[in-house]
Amino acid sequence: MATRKVRYKKLSVKTPLQVLREDQIDPTEYESLTNESQIATGVEQAEENEYHLQAVLQGAGVAADKEIPVPPPEQSNLNYDELYSQRFSKTSTYIRFSQTVEECVGCMYDMTEDDSVFLKSYNQKRGANPHLSEDDFERIMEVFEDTAYIKTPFASVDQTIVPYDEMIQGLQDLDTSKVMPHAKEIYEYWKSMRQALSNQPLHPALKFETHQETDEMDPYVCFRRREMRQTRKTRARDVQSADKLKRLRKELEEGRQLVLASHARELLKAEMLKTDRAIFEQRAQLKEHKIRLGIKTDDEDLINQKPQKRKAPEVPAIQRPPPSQIRLPVRPDGRPAEADLAQLADRLAEKENELRADIEKKVQNHSEWNKNHVDLTRGPLSPVRGPKLDLSFRPAKTQYLMTPPASVSSGAEEPTPMDLDKPENPPSVFHFWGVSQDEESLERPPKYRRRIGRLNRLWIDRRGMASPPRDHGDDNMSDKWKYDQSSDDEDTTMFEVDPYDIRALRFRSSIPLPAWMTNRLVAVPVGVGNRPAILPPGALPPGALPPGALPPGAQHPNQGVRPPSRQQTGG
Amino acid sequence: MGSNGTNGDAAVGSDMPRQKGKATPDTLKVGCIAMVIKDGQPRRAEILSIRETKSGRQFYCNFDNFNKRLDEWVPVGRIDFEQDVDWPNPDKDKQKDGKMKKASTAQKKIPGKKTQKRVGKREQSVASEGQTPHPWTDFVESQQVKASPQKAEEDDKVVASLEVGATPGVGSDEMELNEDETPAEVAKRERAASFSREEEIEKLRTSGSMTQNPAEISRIRNISRVEFGRYVLFPWYFSPYPEIFSQEDCIFICEFCLSYYGDLKSFTRHRLKCTLQHPPGNEIYRDDFVSFYEIDGRRQRTWCRNLCLLSKMFLDHKTLFYDVDPFLFYVMTTRDERGCHLIGYFSKEKESADGFNVACILTLPQYQRKGYGRLLIQFSYELSKIEGKLGSPEKPLSDLGLLSYRQYWSENIIDLLLGFSEREERCTIEGIASHLAMTTQDVEHTLQALKMQVYHKGEHKIVIPEKLIQQREKSKAKQKRLIDPERIQWKPPVFTASNRTWGW
Ligand SMILES: [Zn+2]
Repeated sequence: MATRKVRYKKLSVKTPLQVLREDQIDPTEYESLTNESQIATGVEQAEENEYHLQAVLQGAGVAADKEIPVPPPEQSNLNYDELYSQRFSKTSTYIRFSQTVEECVGCMYDMTEDDSVFLKSYNQKRGANPHLSEDDFERIMEVFEDTAYIKTPFASVDQTIVPYDEMIQGLQDLDTSKVMPHAKEIYEYWKSMRQALSNQPLHPALKFETHQETDEMDPYVCFRRREMRQTRKTRARDVQSADKLKRLRKELEEGRQLVLASHARELLKAEMLKTDRAIFEQRAQLKEHKIRLGIKTDDEDLINQKPQKRKAPEVPAIQRPPPSQIRLPVRPDGRPAEADLAQLADRLAEKENELRADIEKKVQNHSEWNKNHVDLTRGPLSPVRGPKLDLSFRPAKTQYLMTPPASVSSGAEEPTPMDLDKPENPPSVFHFWGVSQDEESLERPPKYRRRIGRLNRLWIDRRGMASPPRDHGDDNMSDKWKYDQSSDDEDTTMFEVDPYDIRALRFRSSIPLPAWMTNRLVAVPVGVGNRPAILPPGALPPGALPPGALPPGAQHPNQGVRPPSRQQTGG
Repeated sequence: MGSNGTNGDAAVGSDMPRQKGKATPDTLKVGCIAMVIKDGQPRRAEILSIRETKSGRQFYCNFDNFNKRLDEWVPVGRIDFEQDVDWPNPDKDKQKDGKMKKASTAQKKIPGKKTQKRVGKREQSVASEGQTPHPWTDFVESQQVKASPQKAEEDDKVVASLEVGATPGVGSDEMELNEDETPAEVAKRERAASFSREEEIEKLRTSGSMTQNPAEISRIRNISRVEFGRYVLFPWYFSPYPEIFSQEDCIFICEFCLSYYGDLKSFTRHRLKCTLQHPPGNEIYRDDFVSFYEIDGRRQRTWCRNLCLLSKMFLDHKTLFYDVDPFLFYVMTTRDERGCHLIGYFSKEKESADGFNVACILTLPQYQRKGYGRLLIQFSYELSKIEGKLGSPEKPLSDLGLLSYRQYWSENIIDLLLGFSEREERCTIEGIASHLAMTTQDVEHTLQALKMQVYHKGEHKIVIPEKLIQQREKSKAKQKRLIDPERIQWKPPVFTASNRTWGW
């Protein structure tokens, strides 16, 4: 058997198979392939051998009348027609339905046997006074239970019972005239019931997760929230989307303000029309009177004197607030119709301020918590600018070296050589910043940060190194070549422009020496031979002059400065 | 498969050698394995819990090689104390000590949770359940399966020597200790140590929706009787309804919104207010006989949770560990003048990484053996056809599930093969699979289970056994109902990445 099995070709699912009825083939000529004799049933292994299942499986294809015994259901003795009295009308089309169970039920409190006993005796005691119906009783109890659920979510642990005063607000939504006379007494009943149940909800509730260890093995704890997918890092696209959303929000807000403003304007216009009309009518009357009484003064009263003057003060009043303050629109006061709108805006502003204060506080808390810690994740709050920032990015102190003016165009825009101080205590932790801080003001000194990236690569990041504006292309270039050069090449000279060219000579002689030079370095020859710079071919734009010579003994700008390359490969 | 060996069956006992010895009704304790009469035959059974009733002590027994749905509370008279009993493994007892302390501290809290009224009710409940005869015992007996090899062997080996009447004196000291515990708590305490928590929790986390909860308490049925619509159902397995319900004789479930009540008055009040008359979703199929509704677990969280709680009473390998949000529920109903009554359902992951087209599937007991399961299965494959995918049910299957699926698969494959055979065409397994929206594994599985895959003259062939053809003719004559794919109004729902990220 085993040896024969080896000879079987492996059956591919794509192999066309001949299909025969049993009577079309000689049963002695073939054997059925029961692969490894055991066929995975898909039933739990521990149950695969269950007696009744095996009995049916073995009978498969032999007798179909074998069944697995189960506890049989019975007919109910309850009165079905009474319990389920509603008629169901069949629709002609397929039913579409989206209401939830809660919406279909209404009041979610269902009175118990105990409640029923209480309510009966309660109503009896009231005698002639209006009785409390079962429906209203349930509504009141629902309010109590809901309020307790919201206000004391840990009621069963901390045993706080919501006082009656706090229940009243919820009761206001009910039919108060029917409910309020009973509420206090029902509250006492509710309280006693809660206390009897260790302050648990009166309706038996499912056990949900409490995020304690006991959850895990408790079979009554069900319907846990599935752990969220691994939170991924904020990607550039997310930031973009968030920005877009913010902008959309802002623009919509602007649109809203526009609508409100135009509404106000139209109201004003209507008012103005009315006034104009009134004035016109008054004037017409005045005119009539004048004619009638024969008064002959000039008709100054009958024309509009200076309509522009009236408009003028109004313009600044309607002036649109700058977009950043769009939520705090400045509105002209006065008109009653507008007063409403203004109030709404005030309310919004108030809310906004509250929110802001709250956020501010949270930000503060956040930085408080994170004191002496380094947040390696992308927190929900944007990085707080504080002392930490300086720990990671140390400013590079600049120090002006004695450098002669480079060219005529440079003047004050002299490229600034930089000297990076040796760090006293290299930071032991490395910081990652999710949001680039490039928008930092250019006035700040450039800063550097050292960090170790993947594969132990050493990275030097720089910040605040934004190059000077492009139109000073000249300086831009000279900045670059400075760092492209290694100090070994210092003495190599290269002439791009003939220094003895008469035009160049004349030009140089016309350059006045800066004051500090004339004061302190009078003897320095403006020579060409010890010019330090090499210009990569083509680096200097035509017409530009090579920078002046470096005074002897003066430190070359390159020395002590690490080239601010973006990347260095470390060990 | 002798009656003495447990054959590694995790349901009763473990592989470890156990101490044997005689027991008395007073010394028999949780974890013991004893010979207990079931369906008139002695059968090995593990004692999972013990309780006192008015008519005496009762033992919750899980029978060797019987499905848990046949577990029952057994009076002393059905236990054979003449035979040796396997005592619980002493190693476990040692471990237990630590756990017991924990349990006993936890135990103190539990009575406090209940009102005095409730406690009274519980006593009553325990007592009354003791009186309630198990309604299906007769049925099971009537269902006695014709002698299989296994059964015959048993009959030879085990001679029923049962001495009825050795009623024990009630209320030993040992039992008094446990007075305040529910049977489930006793079991929990006794058995908690025998599971490796980490492993089991990990299993729950990583496995699909058809995993068993390992906690011992869940081995014991907690609800004994359910009023549901026109029927009374007798649950088969544990379901995590509110813990207090285990003290009720009967719970009441609204047929339409599936809300659950331990109190008849509450249930009656609910019925006055409840306006639901069909599953709260869109009808996607209707014929003269049944309707199908599609329900989104996220949108109808309450209803779907209620459905899961209900179905857990009849599905052993279902876990309610996680919430219903990532699932869609396809619910089959029958219509009458009162509404659309729930027959059964299957759930389906909104996005199944393993290509399952069914997660859980259930026909309610009152509708079983009427061909509804087949309709549910057919419907699940019709949806797969519309999606253009091959589908397979999530494993493990229940015993009943396996039988229903095998029947569906074999009938459909045989119909298809008879066509090929008549036309004298060849067919591929892949072809069968794509035609029926079944996975090729399921097709092969069925072919092999029915011994249809043969090797003949150096070639693989398919042979349709004569018996199966006849059987199919018969069942075709009986078969009244099929799903008409033309009547399905359904488009595969589309879910976005953000649905996925934000928990559906
Ligand atoms: Zn309902």
